[in-house]
Amino acid sequence: MSDSSIVVVAGPSGSGKTAWIAQRLAEATQPALYVSVDGEAISVELAYIGYRFPKVRLANARALPQVFDELAEPTVIYVEVGFSEDVQELSLGGLPSHRVAVLPPSLHHSAWHDWADEIVAGNEVAIFEPHKMPEVWTMSLAGQVFDAPSLDDISIELTGGAYGKVHRMKALVELPDGRLFYLDFVDGMPGIEYGEPRVPQWLEGRPQRFSGIEVVGWNLEGDTIARTIRDGCLSNEAIAHYQLQYKSQSSSSVPQAAQ
Amino acid sequence: MKIAVISCIHGNTEALDAVLSDIDAQNAEKIYCLGDLVGYGPHPNEVVNRIRSLDIPTCQGCWDEDIVDGLNACDCSYPSQLAEKRGKLAHEWTDRVIEPDVREYLAALPMTVREDNLCFVHGSPNSQHEYLLPSMDGFAALERVLSVEADVLFCGHTHVPYVRELDNGSITVSLQQSNGGSGEAKVTQQFAAPLKKIINAGSVGEPRHGRPNATYVLYDTDTQQTTMREVPYEFTKTCMAILESGLPPIFAWRLARGMEFAERADDPSHVCQR
Repeated sequence: MSDSSIVVVAGPSGSGKTAWIAQRLAEATQPALYVSVDGEAISVELAYIGYRFPKVRLANARALPQVFDELAEPTVIYVEVGFSEDVQELSLGGLPSHRVAVLPPSLHHSAWHDWADEIVAGNEVAIFEPHKMPEVWTMSLAGQVFDAPSLDDISIELTGGAYGKVHRMKALVELPDGRLFYLDFVDGMPGIEYGEPRVPQWLEGRPQRFSGIEVVGWNLEGDTIARTIRDGCLSNEAIAHYQLQYKSQSSSSVPQAAQ
Repeated sequence: MKIAVISCIHGNTEALDAVLSDIDAQNAEKIYCLGDLVGYGPHPNEVVNRIRSLDIPTCQGCWDEDIVDGLNACDCSYPSQLAEKRGKLAHEWTDRVIEPDVREYLAALPMTVREDNLCFVHGSPNSQHEYLLPSMDGFAALERVLSVEADVLFCGHTHVPYVRELDNGSITVSLQQSNGGSGEAKVTQQFAAPLKKIINAGSVGEPRHGRPNATYVLYDTDTQQTTMREVPYEFTKTCMAILESGLPPIFAWRLARGMEFAERADDPSHVCQR
């Protein structure tokens, strides 16, 4: 641990903390560890970073001291702090760290400014008063495969406010062709961003890997969102049907060896 | 003569009343209706009774057919699994509340209505479920108009109004003809068709053009001029009625934004298999 360095990244919801860390990880030349401190049981960012950077170690905040102790080689440790966490209360066991706040350019005074060593210009997102802080709703989607047009409907309705006012939505979702997609929506930013982590196509039954959704907003109708999502996910029979088709397509597209 | 053509009312009396008032103000002499009187909306019986009381010539829509014969659509009816589940909920609700004489009226509606060189259908002359999208292949579109021997084909079903002029109505057919023992000869025949039009009337009660306003069309049979009408109405009353009736609340949210509840057509090359 002695030669490792810790970078703590904080900021409001949707400001671009994960994107900033991902950029650093993409350029990293030495081992890295990513730690998520957001208090949620399901962390879409943690899984997203894991899928996108398979060599990066992952840890939840609860396991921090032990993980630090186990580091056998000099490592850059990125600690992402959720928007609802109090940065002043954050404890890293007295270890020195470089504190980065990813903030909207128009924000000039905040607790993040007082705390940070470095300010990074992020997305121009709204800042909430303490008494108007949004709630966070999460759902594991493990094993679920979406009907793609239904996923479109759900995304439009969810981000359009059909089930409560949404400030942020991020999700890792499985599609029938075996691909995994990352969806990222921030209120005020144009559209929904889609990314495709480089993971193997899953065409053998229900995917046995993490997928999930996290929604940040107000008056969220969690039960209705969950029911709508379930209505948009495929049955075992439909999944098997699609997977058979995609496997058949991929085998027929393999060039035949010359005789 | 100025006529008004309305379509896809979908149990929305607030929208229908606003459109009927607008038609009155525009001095249209006759109204035609392209069906889908029921389905999704909270007032199916009221809408049918209004149309009947005004003696409006009406053809049968896909929802009118479904509520009589049961759900039997091909893939084009529902573009997503979620839409299909919602559509079935709406069908079950409508099936439960519809009155026997209303069902009888819907069952007796014709597939097409004719008036001189005008033909009125819900989806296409082939089927109430087939979408005549503006991007449909020109040959296929012309075939649909020629099949009913009309100059102007009025349709609905897509919920987005449009006028399409098929002004290059020329069809070339090539045949390989056998010449007995001396082989085959290629024979080419050309058929010319005069200017044809497809006019989509949009939707009164369930618009899909991004605004909640009802749409319909006016057509002048003397000048062949088409006028698209977009009519604001108190859609919040319909939204409240949706919520109070036990229909899926998401229908109210979508209606308020001019987003269709479930059905949608995206593939102009799709031929309905129903």
